[in-house]
Amino acid sequence: MSALTFQLKNAPEERLDLSPLTPDRLSGLKAKDIEALSIGTTRVPATVGDVFKVKGKDASKVVFVGTDARCDKIGAGMAEGAIVVDGNAGAYLGAGMKKGRIEVKGSAGVLAGASMAGGVLDISRHAGERAGGINVGETLGMRGGVLTIGGNAGPLLGERMRRGLLIVSGDAGDYAGARMVAGTILFKRGVGANAGFGLRRGSLIFAKEPKTILPTFGDCGVLEFDYFRLLERWLRANSKPVKLGARARRLMGDMSVLGKGEMLILA
Amino acid sequence: MADLKIKGITVVETFAEAFPMVGTRVVITAPTLKWALIAAQTMTGFATSVIACGAEAGIDRILSPKETMDGRPGVAVLLFTMDAGKLQTQLRNRVGQCVLTSPGSACFAGLEGEKKLKLGASLRFFGDGWQMSKVVGGRRFWRIPVMDGEFLCEATTGLTKKAVGGGNLLVLGKSHKAVLAACERAVEAISEIEGVITPFPGGIVRSGSKVGSKYKGQIASTNDAYCPTLKAAVKTELPLSVEAVMEIVIDGLTKESVAKAMHAGLHAVAKGGAKEGITHITAGNYGGNLGPHHFHLKEIVA
Repeated sequence: MSALTFQLKNAPEERLDLSPLTPDRLSGLKAKDIEALSIGTTRVPATVGDVFKVKGKDASKVVFVGTDARCDKIGAGMAEGAIVVDGNAGAYLGAGMKKGRIEVKGSAGVLAGASMAGGVLDISRHAGERAGGINVGETLGMRGGVLTIGGNAGPLLGERMRRGLLIVSGDAGDYAGARMVAGTILFKRGVGANAGFGLRRGSLIFAKEPKTILPTFGDCGVLEFDYFRLLERWLRANSKPVKLGARARRLMGDMSVLGKGEMLILA
Repeated sequence: MADLKIKGITVVETFAEAFPMVGTRVVITAPTLKWALIAAQTMTGFATSVIACGAEAGIDRILSPKETMDGRPGVAVLLFTMDAGKLQTQLRNRVGQCVLTSPGSACFAGLEGEKKLKLGASLRFFGDGWQMSKVVGGRRFWRIPVMDGEFLCEATTGLTKKAVGGGNLLVLGKSHKAVLAACERAVEAISEIEGVITPFPGGIVRSGSKVGSKYKGQIASTNDAYCPTLKAAVKTELPLSVEAVMEIVIDGLTKESVAKAMHAGLHAVAKGGAKEGITHITAGNYGGNLGPHHFHLKEIVA
């Protein structure tokens, strides 16, 4: 069976709420029922059939083609299956997702993977502010799963993150890992100001030394971490190879709060 | 009884009687194989028999850096006891005192298992609040600060209730030297089998026991039927020419692995043939009423 495909007919007139179009919610629905699903967010009614050309049957793999930055909540809260986005995604991409896999070939808007609890979210290009951060109505950011951003990430990346792994290949904005409770963020390139602001626990791993480091982080010197070997092998096995080595400078902080978090700057 | 003969050695038609045990497996890594082995040997020291050691333990096999979770040389260790509660205590104490303390070591789960045993989940308290938990690929690891850096330890490891303890071979021969050499060969062959250990010193036990004693409070005593110096006084199992008997005890994660180990051991003993001085290969049992697992030598030979 071919993947259930939603091809955008024209650039949408309004922001769309695509949260009903996840594998778990679509399974068992007939083509007619799917086309009748309401995805509009204004007083002008909009159904799937109005906006998308629907093809294929296998709801365990959902494909979006030609989507743009107004296509919000793709894969939000999804609990199984796979979604591929051949285009860009709007806000709340994979927000609160529990399981499954989302792959975006373009960029994502704000709050991508916000408060996600599990699963894998891969964004090939950029992500807006608060990726892996706190979803609306939640008190904590990401609490599980793996979020990778191939390009740059906006400010407040992984804000109040609780668990899980976040990888940024490009530059991250200001206040990355702010108020983090636990979890791991791996920065492959630069990071903006105030990284780790209010960090309680959790690890910020930097491949490159940040330009500025908050004065509330204390230096432990360059040390060896077996944890890196473990992480590096897992990353390689999951086709996200990053050379970590085993040595890093460890800074503990944020000492203005609990201070049990760490920055690990690869040496 | 139609005893079998291999290369002139009599394989007695009898069976080894073995018991159900609970077992676990952990992987110890270190900067070098030398230090992984030191940690593993320390952890599995004084673990020959549950009778007085609390556990039976040994090295399963050596792992190459490619096979371990952190890419360092490793050693897989097996630990067996009679029940899950004792296994948990033994695991915590042994890893806590012998692996945590060993320079550069790390400790990982070595078994999926039907149930979980706490590993780092209890040892983390050594970190006094400075320990950090990291989840990698859905598995939780604890980073416990120690004086040479960090002790990385997986939170849990698996437990199996299908383990088997007490698979055995008895080797009878005309000289101590010949029996020791044959048994050494057998232990070597058994060490190649995965999922089994030979917990006694060097894999060999020379003081096989029988249940009970003439003394009150002594639960096991010397197996007089196999003591060459008592041939004239007891109901001996030994021909006059036999000078020494040694036993190889095998514990394994499964019944199948124990059978495989007994097969490898038996053939390794027989390799030198009767001309080397080995006369009989037999096995120890208690009449078949105590242990549910019976390994018949004539089936093991095949």
